[in-house]
Amino acid sequence: MRILIVEDEPTLRAQLAEGIGAAGYAVDVAENGTDAHYMGDTEPYDAVILDLGLPQMDGITVLRKWRTAGRSMPVLILTARDGWHEKVAGIDAGADDYLTKPFHMEELLARLRALIRRAGGHASSEIVCGPLTLDTRNSRATVAGQALTLTSHEYRVLAYLMHHRDEVVSRSDLVEHIYAQDFDRDSNTVEVFIARLRKKLPPGLIETVRGLGYRLTAQQ
Amino acid sequence: MNFSGLHGSLRIRLLAGTLFWIAMSILVAGWGLGSLFRQHVATQFHTELTSHLDQLTAQFTLDEQGRPQLALPLSDPRLSRPYSGCYWQIDLVSDIGGSDSVIAGQLRSRSLWDHVLVAPSGMLADGEIHQHRILGPEGKMLGMVERSVRIDDTPDGKPRTFRLIAAADENFMLEPIARFSGNLWLALGLLATGLILAALVQVFVGLAPLRTLRTALGKVRSGETQRLEGVFPGEVTPLIDEFNTVLAQNAEVVERARTHAGNLAHALKTPLSVLANAATSGKDADHSELARLVVDQVAIAQRQVDYHLARAQVAATSRVPGVKTPLQPVVEGLARVMRRIHAERQLELIVHPFPESLSFRGEAQDLQEMLGNLLDNACKWAKRNIELNACSNGTTLTVTIDDDGSGLAVEKRDAVILRGIRADEQVAGSGLGLAIVDDLARLYGGQLELVDSPLGGLRVVLTLPASQ
Repeated sequence: MRILIVEDEPTLRAQLAEGIGAAGYAVDVAENGTDAHYMGDTEPYDAVILDLGLPQMDGITVLRKWRTAGRSMPVLILTARDGWHEKVAGIDAGADDYLTKPFHMEELLARLRALIRRAGGHASSEIVCGPLTLDTRNSRATVAGQALTLTSHEYRVLAYLMHHRDEVVSRSDLVEHIYAQDFDRDSNTVEVFIARLRKKLPPGLIETVRGLGYRLTAQQ
Repeated sequence: MNFSGLHGSLRIRLLAGTLFWIAMSILVAGWGLGSLFRQHVATQFHTELTSHLDQLTAQFTLDEQGRPQLALPLSDPRLSRPYSGCYWQIDLVSDIGGSDSVIAGQLRSRSLWDHVLVAPSGMLADGEIHQHRILGPEGKMLGMVERSVRIDDTPDGKPRTFRLIAAADENFMLEPIARFSGNLWLALGLLATGLILAALVQVFVGLAPLRTLRTALGKVRSGETQRLEGVFPGEVTPLIDEFNTVLAQNAEVVERARTHAGNLAHALKTPLSVLANAATSGKDADHSELARLVVDQVAIAQRQVDYHLARAQVAATSRVPGVKTPLQPVVEGLARVMRRIHAERQLELIVHPFPESLSFRGEAQDLQEMLGNLLDNACKWAKRNIELNACSNGTTLTVTIDDDGSGLAVEKRDAVILRGIRADEQVAGSGLGLAIVDDLARLYGGQLELVDSPLGGLRVVLTLPASQ
């Protein structure tokens, strides 16, 4: 799961990146409206946290441009302006949720998880695939009630597959969604993570679809 | 003398001036025409008397005995009809011992019948004509002219002096004057009435743009228009333009104040976020005394910022006239927001249909702030259902929001409206929502009421001024 954080205040941007990264997400950051628009337009993010008061191009304009261009990733607006006037403008521009500063990191994460889950069509905070359960609230995966011990990259691969269960996910898709932009990507590492996950999961859950990618499914 | 009415009303000022001049003109015209006519009639009266006197002088002779007689009777038939009002008389003036004695009525017109005119005594120079007023027959006042004629060529050789008198009833002069005056004042009265009516019409028509202006101002006040609209005469247009500029500036000042408040919020809340996150995300979070202190103080600072920003917003709403906000788009926008931000809870927010024409007489942002806080509050507390109803009686707009939550005890209802008191700390929020709504509603002359909802939870009833 890859998140774009758009915030112009450096300290808050770093705190957000740290808090969201610690929750198991790959994080990219943008500090102005122009960069944010470009990144959101070209990279496949699973969610965006967008500040409204930005240099160069304001958040509402960025959001409107994304939506006009057909970019449909969930967007959480984070702003100091808490008038309902701004909230209506934000939601009408295409935002999915709204959080005003100052905020608690837990609340931000809860809303972020809910946005990603709803975008994947999952109503509950728990995503189930056969014996495997992913609790998005605390980033825990269990198999038949037994907690799995996962590294952060393993968790990201598993979470992405769970959010897209029964779908074929290409290797490049996985790379796009588990690594931050400036990370040195190597698609071979995906195979390493898949191999490690297969060892930790019941056999057969992760299928390899030749030439296309992987599929997480409980149907044998 | 009290001039307040004169200062207070343009109409009275204009009318008082016009009426004064109309009255003065009519009086001067009446007096002037009246005197001219009187003068004319008096001149004519005396001309006629003089003409009688001249005729009398011409026809006057003495018979063989030296008694006065007329060669031919005078032509005016009134002189023959008894007490007709036209008279003549010839008196003999004898010079006895240096003083004049008059033997009146030596010869009289037939019209005098048995009456003898008594003229004032005093000898006249020959040919000189004197005018007098004397008492005539039947006690009537007569205008009289007299002349002395001295005849030297008498039968007995003694020169004699006669006084020739022509007189006429003054009524011959006064009656036409009275008739004329009657007609004159009637005509002038009609003229004055006409002029007064014309003045009234002129004032009415002249002041009509002011009535249009009042109507236009009324529309601005009621929120129907944002500026004075309509066609006004050139004299009023600069005033209208100035007023419209003031209205626009007023709206701009409010907008600027709002923007500044928003900027202040932004400037303060971002560092507060940084502080709060730094305190809670550190390794020793929840353990350090300093971290707890920071978290507590940040929460207090946030509440202070929220409260004072809300108050600033309320203060900025200086009731700019001419603002009208349709209810429907605001409610729809807020409903979209509520459904989105409370999407997790799968609430059922029902907006019952209401007429599109329902409008609030005030700023859109204020209406959004009030309804947003109320709806958000209802969404936070509702188990599943929230319902919104709106209606208007022409002057008041009433919005009712019901939820099926756990409701609020009667004794707590007043308290939650007071500044920042929260009924329950379990649900997120600053607790300022209802207080802000109450402040805003009061500022607009409306009110916020909390009652039991038929859905089982709380019903908030917000009444606000409606715009037509």
